[in-house]
Amino acid sequence: MTAPATSSRRLRFERLPLRRIILISLSIAIVYGVVAGSAATLRMGTFTAADWRSLVINGIARGSVYALIAIGYTLVYGILFMINFAHGEVFMSGAYTAFFVAVAFGRSGYLNAHPLVSIGAILIVSMVTSTLVAVILERVAYRPLRGAPRLVPLITAIGASFFLQYTFRGLYGAQARAYPTINVLQGTWTIFGVEILRTQVIVVVAAILLWIALFTFVAKTRTGRSMRAVGEDREIAALMGINVDRTIVATFAIGGALAGAAGILYVFLFNQVIFTMGFFPGIKAFTAAVLGGIGSVTGAAMGGLLLGVLEAVGPNLFLTGVGVPSPNQLQPVVAFGILVLVLIFLPGGFLGAPEEKRA
Amino acid sequence: MSHLLDLEGVSKRFGGVQAVDQVDFHADQGEIVGVIGPNGAGKTTLFNVVTGFYGPDSGKIRFDGNNLVGLKPNQITKVGIARTFQAVRLFGAMTVLENAMVGQHPRTRAGVFGALFHTSSTRSEEERVQAKAGAALDFFGDRLSPRLNSLASELAYADRRRLEIARAMATEPKLLLLDEPAAGMNPAEKDGLIELIGRLRDEKGYSIVLIEHDMPVISGVSDRVVALDYGKKIAEGTYEEVAANQQVIEAYLGKSATQGQT
Amino acid sequence: MRAALSRDNVRAGLIGGVTVLYLALVGMIERFQDRDVITDVIGLGTLLILIGLAGTGYMASRPPKPRPGRKPVTANPALIGLVAGTTAGVLAGAVILILELLISAGVDVRSVLASVTPGMLSTMEFGLGPVGGALILVGLGAALGAGAGALRLLSDQLRDTVTFTLTAVLLMSLMEPILSAVLDGLSLPDRWLYEGGGLTVLGAVLTVVAAGAGRWFWKEREPQRKEAVALLPADRRTLYRKLAVFAAVAFLVVLPWLVGSFISDVLGTVGLYVLLGLGLNIVVGYAGLLDLGYVAFFAVGAYATGVLTSPASYLVREEGQLFAEKGLTNFWVALPFVVLIAVIIGILIGAPVLRLRGDYLAIVTLGFGEIIRTLVLSDWLAPYLGGAQGLLNVPPPPPEALDLRAPQNVYYLILVFCGIAAFVAWRLSDSRIGRAWAAMREDESVAEAMGVSIIRYKLLAFAMGAGVGSLGGVFFAAKIGSIFPNSFGLLVSINVLSVIILGGLGSIPGVIVGSAVLVGLPELLREFAEFRLLIYGAILVAIMILRPEGLVPNKRRQRELHARDAEAELSVIVTDEATS
Repeated sequence: MTAPATSSRRLRFERLPLRRIILISLSIAIVYGVVAGSAATLRMGTFTAADWRSLVINGIARGSVYALIAIGYTLVYGILFMINFAHGEVFMSGAYTAFFVAVAFGRSGYLNAHPLVSIGAILIVSMVTSTLVAVILERVAYRPLRGAPRLVPLITAIGASFFLQYTFRGLYGAQARAYPTINVLQGTWTIFGVEILRTQVIVVVAAILLWIALFTFVAKTRTGRSMRAVGEDREIAALMGINVDRTIVATFAIGGALAGAAGILYVFLFNQVIFTMGFFPGIKAFTAAVLGGIGSVTGAAMGGLLLGVLEAVGPNLFLTGVGVPSPNQLQPVVAFGILVLVLIFLPGGFLGAPEEKRA
Repeated sequence: MSHLLDLEGVSKRFGGVQAVDQVDFHADQGEIVGVIGPNGAGKTTLFNVVTGFYGPDSGKIRFDGNNLVGLKPNQITKVGIARTFQAVRLFGAMTVLENAMVGQHPRTRAGVFGALFHTSSTRSEEERVQAKAGAALDFFGDRLSPRLNSLASELAYADRRRLEIARAMATEPKLLLLDEPAAGMNPAEKDGLIELIGRLRDEKGYSIVLIEHDMPVISGVSDRVVALDYGKKIAEGTYEEVAANQQVIEAYLGKSATQGQT
Repeated sequence: MRAALSRDNVRAGLIGGVTVLYLALVGMIERFQDRDVITDVIGLGTLLILIGLAGTGYMASRPPKPRPGRKPVTANPALIGLVAGTTAGVLAGAVILILELLISAGVDVRSVLASVTPGMLSTMEFGLGPVGGALILVGLGAALGAGAGALRLLSDQLRDTVTFTLTAVLLMSLMEPILSAVLDGLSLPDRWLYEGGGLTVLGAVLTVVAAGAGRWFWKEREPQRKEAVALLPADRRTLYRKLAVFAAVAFLVVLPWLVGSFISDVLGTVGLYVLLGLGLNIVVGYAGLLDLGYVAFFAVGAYATGVLTSPASYLVREEGQLFAEKGLTNFWVALPFVVLIAVIIGILIGAPVLRLRGDYLAIVTLGFGEIIRTLVLSDWLAPYLGGAQGLLNVPPPPPEALDLRAPQNVYYLILVFCGIAAFVAWRLSDSRIGRAWAAMREDESVAEAMGVSIIRYKLLAFAMGAGVGSLGGVFFAAKIGSIFPNSFGLLVSINVLSVIILGGLGSIPGVIVGSAVLVGLPELLREFAEFRLLIYGAILVAIMILRPEGLVPNKRRQRELHARDAEAELSVIVTDEATS
C-alpha cells in the first residue's frame, strides 16, 4: 500500500461550481424581474396612489398578525432550537374556541351592548386556550424528545400539527364559520387625512402593545432572564439553579398566549374560522421569523411587517406589468420565494446572529 | 527543494478573536512536526484552515504543487491530506470495516451506473476497497482486525482513536494531521502511540503533523516542534530548543496556574 | 390496596378516561360503530371504548422503572389495573352524564361539540340510557382494568397468546373487504365467516381457536426452531431466502386476480405510495435530507406526462402536427423525457438550498412544493398547464390491446415501476454511494474530511428522489387520465413522509408495510378515511417518541438511533473546538 504517484495527484478543481452559477443566475433573474416588473406596472398606471396606500395598510395589518405568531416560533427556536411546526394550530385553537363565546355573546345581544367587555372575554378565552394547547403540546410531544437528533422533533411537530388540525375538525366540525359582527369595529377612522378601516387600526395598535409587553417581559423579569439563559446554554443554566423544564414551559405558554391574541386579531381582519386556518399563517409567520432573524423578538416583529407588506404589494407591483393575469393568486409564491431567498442569501436574517458554518 | 506543505502568512479571524495570526509553517516529505501551545492558541484552527474547513483570511497554502486556498475539504483530502479529530468522531452506526471503507472514498470512482449494474470495474473496485480498508486496519495488529464487524461505537476508547487513524490512512494520504492523538490515553498506550507514529512514517512514508499537549509524546516523535500562542508562531526548532525558549515557558507558565496540564 | 391507590395510578386512569372521551368527542367512536367487528355482537366503536379502558389498566400496571430516590411500589397489578380502570370509567361516565344533563336542560351542545350526537351518546352508554350508561362505564372500567392488569400475572407465553388472539380477531374483522373478495373470487362460500361487514360468531370463535392454538404452539417451539435455523448450512439458508423472495413475487403477480378489480384499484394506489415512498426514502432515509415538498416531483411527473402526451395540452395543440408525426405523444417515448425533466428540476431546486441546515431545508422544500402547486393552479400558466381545470384526456399507455387503464392491468404497471425503484434504491444503498450517504447522514463534516463531496451527494440523492417521484406522477397520469392541481397538495408530501416513517426510514420492506397500513387500510375501511390525517399525525408523533426506527427498521438506521444513546454522554462532554 504505497501512496500513488504524485503526478496523478495534481488535480484541477473547478473553483466556480455549478451551485454558485445557479445561485448567481437566480439572483440576477429575480432582481431583473422585480425591477422590470415594477417599472412596467408603475408605467401602466393600473393602480392609483390610493390603491397602493390601501395595499400597504392592508399589508401592515396582516403583517402585525404574522409578527405576533412569529414571536412564538422565535421564542421556542431561541430556547430549544426546534421549529415548532404546530404553532399555527396553536393559533387556530384559540380563535376557533373563542368563536363559541362570541356566538353566545352575539346571540344574547351582550356583544354589541358591552363590546369592550365582550372582546376582552373573547380575547382571554382565546389566549387561555392557545396557551393550554401549547403547554400540552410541549409536555406530550416535545419533552420526551429533548436531545434527540434535530429532525426527530421537527417530524413530531409536523405530526402534531396535523393531529391538532383534525382534532379540532372532529371536535367543532369541518365547515368554516363566520364570527358575529361587532358594530364598533365596523367602518373607518380618518387618521392624518387617510381613511383606514377601524379593524386595521385596532389590529396594529394591539399588536404593538402586545409586542411591547412581551419585550419588557423578556428583558426585565426573572422568567425572561431564565429564558435567555436556557437558550444560551441549557446545562449551565441548570447548574445555575434555573428550572429548565419550567422555563421551557413558560416559553411555550408565552408563545401560545400571543398566538391566541393573534388569532382574535386575525378574526377581526378576516372574520372567519375553520380548522385549517392556522396552517398558512403559521408558515408565513415562520417565514417572518426567519426573515427577521430567528431567535430575535424584534426581528420577528420587523419580519412580520415586511412580509405582510411584501405579500400585499408584491404580486401586484412585480407581476401586473409583466402581464401576469390575477397576480394575487401568486401570493404564496411571493411568501415562499422570500423565504427561500432569505435562507439562501441571508441565513441569519436581518437581526439574527450569523449562522455558524457547521453545527 | 520545496516543502510538501507550505503556509505563508496565514491568518484567520473569528469576530474579535485573531485565532491564527500571520503564521508561516511548513512540513517536509517524511518529516514529523509537533505543534504545541496552550489551549486556545489556534492549533486546531490551523488544522481547520489547512483542511479547508475554514478559508484563511489571508496567506498562501501550498501542498505538493497545489494551491489549497479555495478548495473544499473533500478536495483537499483527495490531494493527499488526511486528518483525525480532537474529539474522536467515528461513524458510530457503521462497523469498524465500514468506517475504514469510507476512507477509501476519494480513491474510488464508482458512480450510479456502476452501483446499479454491478459492472466488472465496480466489483473489482469494491474488492479493492475492502482489501485496502482491511490493510489499514491490519496496521494496528490485533487491535482492530478481529473486530471488523463490531460497531465503531462499541470499541474501547483507545481503539476508537486507532480506528480514526486507520480511517485516515485509508484515504491514502501523503500528509497526516493528528489532533491530540494521545488525549485520554494511559502511559502504556502513549508509548504505543509513539511507536505507532514512527511506524506510520517509516513504513507508510507519511509526513505527519500532530497537535499534542503531552510533552513526552511530542519529544518522542517530533523531528521539529512549532509553538503557537495567541495565534502567533512563537518558537520553532528541535524539542529541546523550543522547550528552552523563554517565550514558550512564559506562555505555559503564565497559564499553568489556571489550567491543568494534560 | 394502599399501594394501588397511588397518585400515579389515578393519573394513569385519568389519562385513560381523557383518551376515551377524546375518541368520542372527535367522532371516532360513533363513526367506527358503523362497522361491526362481530356482527350483531360488537361494533368497532364499542370495541374502541373497551380497548381504551383495558389499555388504561394495562399501561398503569406496567412494571415501574427504577427511579433513584424512590422506593419501587409493589402492588398487585390487577389491583393497580382496577384502580386505574375505575378512575377512567368514572371520568368517562361522569362527562357523558354531564353532557346528557346539559342536553336535557336545553343547551345546544352540538352547536359547539359537533360530535356529541345521539348516536355517539348511545354508543358510549351501551344503549342503556344516561344513568345506566355511566354505571356500566364505571363497571366496565373496573372489570377491564383489573383484567388487563391481571394479564401481567400470567406467564409471558400465555400473555402473548392472549394479546395475539385478540389482535387476530380484530384484524380478521378489518380484513373483511379483502378476504370476502378473495373468497368470492375463488367462488368459495363466505357467509359462514363474514356477514354484514363483520365476522360471524362462528367466524370469531374459529379465529380465536386457530390464532390462540397456533400462537401457543409457535411460542412453545420457538427455542427449538431458532436452534434449527441456526444449524442450517449457509447455502440452504440462501436457497430458502431465494424461494421466499420468489414466492413473494409470484404472490404479487397473481394478487389482482385473487382480489378482483375494486381491490386491485386500491392496490394501485398503495403501489403509487410505495413508489413515492421509495423515492422519498432515498432523500430522507439514505441522505438524511428532510424534504417536505416531495409532491413537487410527483406533480412535475404528472404534468410533464400530460403536457407531452395529452391532446388538450398546449404543446400538442399548437405544435401537434410535429409531435404526432414523430410519434412523440406516445406514453413510452415521453417517459424518459419526463424523468429527465424531473431530475433537472430536482437539481435546479436542490443546488441552491442543499447547503442549508436540516430543519431549514425542510421548510424551504415545503415552500417549493407550495410554489409548484400555486403555479400549476394559476391563471398565468393556465394556457400551458390547464389552471384550475386541469389537463384532461391524457391517453392511456399504448398498446391499446393491453388496456393499461383497467385496474388489474394498471396494477402491473405500478408493480414494474416499484420493482425498478426498489432495485435502484437497494443497489444504491449497498454501494460506495450508499456508504457516502450514510457517512454524510451521521456526521457531515467528517464525511467531507473523508473526501465525500457533500453537495454532490446531496444533489445526487435529491435528483434520484426526483426521478422516482416523477415516475409516480407518470403512473398517476396514466392511471387517472386527467390531472387536477388539487391532487398535488402538501398532504401528498405528508402522506408519503408518514409512510416511510411508519415503515422505518431507509427500509425498503418498511415502505411496503407503511403504505399498506396507511394507504391501503383507509381505502378499504371508509370509516377511517375521515380520520386519516388525525391518525397520521398521531402516528408520526408516537413513532418518533416510542420507536423512531419504524416498524420494519433498516439495520443501520436502528444502530444509529441506538448508538446515539450510548454516545450521548460522550458528546455532551466533548465539544470539538475544531468544528463547532
